[in-house]
Amino acid sequence: MANGDQPNDLDRRRRELEAALASRRPKEPEGGGDSKSDGVGGFGNALRLSSEFIAGIVVGAGLGWFIDRMAGTSPWGLIVFLLLGFAAGVLNVLRSAGLVADFGSRAPKRAPDAGDEN
Amino acid sequence: MANDPIHQFQISKLIPIEIGGLDFSFTNSAAFMVATVAASGAFLFLTTSSRGLVPGRLQSISEMLYEFVASMLRDAAGSHGMKFFPFVFSLFMFVLVGNLLGLFPYFFTITSHIIVTFALALLVIGTVIVYGFWKHGLGFLKLFVPSGVPAVLVPLVVLIEVVSFLSRPVSLSVRLFANMLAGHITLKVFAGFVTSLSAFGVAGMAGAVLPFVMVVAITGLEILVAFLQAYVFAVLTCMYLNDALHPGH
Amino acid sequence: MEVEAAKAIGAGIACLGMGGAGIGLGHIFGNYLAGALRNPSAADGQFGRLIFGFAVTEALGIFSLLVALLLLFT
Repeated sequence: MANGDQPNDLDRRRRELEAALASRRPKEPEGGGDSKSDGVGGFGNALRLSSEFIAGIVVGAGLGWFIDRMAGTSPWGLIVFLLLGFAAGVLNVLRSAGLVADFGSRAPKRAPDAGDEN
Repeated sequence: MANDPIHQFQISKLIPIEIGGLDFSFTNSAAFMVATVAASGAFLFLTTSSRGLVPGRLQSISEMLYEFVASMLRDAAGSHGMKFFPFVFSLFMFVLVGNLLGLFPYFFTITSHIIVTFALALLVIGTVIVYGFWKHGLGFLKLFVPSGVPAVLVPLVVLIEVVSFLSRPVSLSVRLFANMLAGHITLKVFAGFVTSLSAFGVAGMAGAVLPFVMVVAITGLEILVAFLQAYVFAVLTCMYLNDALHPGH
Repeated sequence: MEVEAAKAIGAGIACLGMGGAGIGLGHIFGNYLAGALRNPSAADGQFGRLIFGFAVTEALGIFSLLVALLLLFT
C-alpha cells in the first residue's frame, strides 16, 4: 500500500514544488534580448554571466587586500574575502540566470552551499 | 604606427587647463562626451519639435526610444520607479549614442575607457544607496538579510550579499567597457589586415577581400552590440533601482 | 635567486592549477550539453545542478588563484 501511494505522492509534491518555484522565480530580465538572433543572444548572455562571476571574485580579493592593508591582518583578509567573493560571484551568476530571486526576497538556497564547499 | 590597434584609444589634450595642480584639460574624450550629449539632445529635440499627431519617421524613432525605456523601467521597478525615468533615459541615451558615435571612423569611443563606464556605474549605485537610505532609513539594510535564513548562517550570508552588492558596479562597468574595447580592437585588427595585404600587389588585393568582408560583418555586429550594451546597462540600472525602491519586498 | 623573482615564478606556477579547473569546467558543460541534446526536456531541471558542479569545480581553481595572489601581495 505504501508502495502504491508513494509515486503519486512524490508526483504531487514535485508539482507543488514546481508551482511554488515558478511563482518565486523572478521574471526574465531580458524581454528584448530574446528577440535577437540566438547566437548573439547566447554570446551576450555568456559574456554577462562570466563578467558577473569575475566581478564578484575581483571585488572580494580587492576588499580582502584593502582590509589586510588597513588592519594588518595579512594574509587572512585576502583568504577569507576571496572565498566570500567567490560565493558572491556564484550568487551573482545564479541571480542573473534567474535561479535565485533578487536581493532580500528569500533565502538564496544554493549560494550558502557554494560557500560551505570552500 | 598606423596599424597600432590601441592608438585609437589614446587621449589627447585639446585645450590644456590646469587648476591647482590638477589636470582639468579638455581632452578628445571630453569633446566626444559633449558631442554625444549634443547629438542625442538635438536629435530628440528636433525630431519631436513638430509634435505631429501622426509621427513621421524620425519622430517615431524618438517615441520608440521613449516607450522602450519607459516600459523597461515600468516592468522592472513598477510605476513608483517612473520618477527615475529621466535618469534612466539619459543614461541609456548617453551610452547608446556614445557607442554609436564611436563606430564612425576616426571618432573616439568614450565608453571604451573604463573610468567613464565606472563613473556611470558609480552614479547608478550611488543613486541606489542614497535613495534607499533616504526613503527607507536603516530598513534599506534589510536588502542584505534574506528572509528565512537559519540564524547561524546569517553573518555569512550577509557578508556574501554585501560583496555581491559591491561587485555590481564593477560588473556593470567592466561589461560595457570590455565589449566596446574588444569590438573596436577587433575591427581595427581586421582593417589592418586589409591595408597590409593590399600592399602585396594584385594577388594581395584579391586576398584582402576576405578581411574586408569580415570588417563589414563586424561593423554590423558592433552596431548590434552598441545597442545591446546600452540596453543591458539600462535594464540593470532599472533592476538596481528596484532594490532601492522595494528592499526586502 | 632574488625573493621577488621566485615569488613571481611561484605565482605563475600556481596559476597552472586553474588550467585543471578549466578542464573540469569543460567536462561539466560539455556533458551537460550532451545530455541536454539527448533529452532537452530534462535540461532546464538540471540547470541548478550544473551551476552547483560549476561552483564546486571552480572553487578548486579559486584556491590556486588564492595561492598566486598570496604569493604576489603578501
